[in-house]
Amino acid sequence: MRTIEMLHRSGVGVAPSRTIRDAAAIMEQAGVGSLAVVDGERLVGIVTDRDIVRRAVARAVPDDARVDSVMTTPVVTVGADDPLDVAFGLFATHGLRRLAVMRGDRFVGMLTIDDLFVSVVEQLASLAKPITAEILFSHRDAAVPVTT
Amino acid sequence: MRATVGDRIVIHGHRIGEPNRDCEVLEVRGSDGGPPYLVRWGDSGHEALFFPGTDASVQHFEHSN
Repeated sequence: MRTIEMLHRSGVGVAPSRTIRDAAAIMEQAGVGSLAVVDGERLVGIVTDRDIVRRAVARAVPDDARVDSVMTTPVVTVGADDPLDVAFGLFATHGLRRLAVMRGDRFVGMLTIDDLFVSVVEQLASLAKPITAEILFSHRDAAVPVTT
Repeated sequence: MRATVGDRIVIHGHRIGEPNRDCEVLEVRGSDGGPPYLVRWGDSGHEALFFPGTDASVQHFEHSN
């Protein structure tokens, strides 16, 4: 499976000159926990709700400061057409919760570790389905023929 | 996804009880109507770039010149 096939959620981006207050309001309005920080067409960082809490609110940074003052950069990215295993590897290696998905130099969306959890659980459920009855009702198995 | 200025994009809720969200396309930044889009969110007036996923659908409107 390619990474892009797991990208269900829409991504939202802001320019680096936008304020922290704007970024928080956009997160709330769009229902996302992270924003891509995009300068023209170039991805320059990621800002999360956690970044705003830890790097701005907790340090009394004014909410009209630029959002690039609290963003994470450089950004760990994965290619849209990379096998999903690559994304799994990056999550594991870097201890991240989000990966920026790129097609060439262009940002196309944000893959979250939650998306992968849901996928893994769904796959496990589909694997378990055929054998569930066997596990729960094993006594209904036909008896082995007795040979003499 | 293809959109034009003035179209409405609806982002469907991911969990039970999560409301749909919507935004208006202000600019098409991609080629041939493709993303990203500069959008305005709901009534807040906040503008942002939008990169649609499979959770989003576009509602086209007839535009008169």
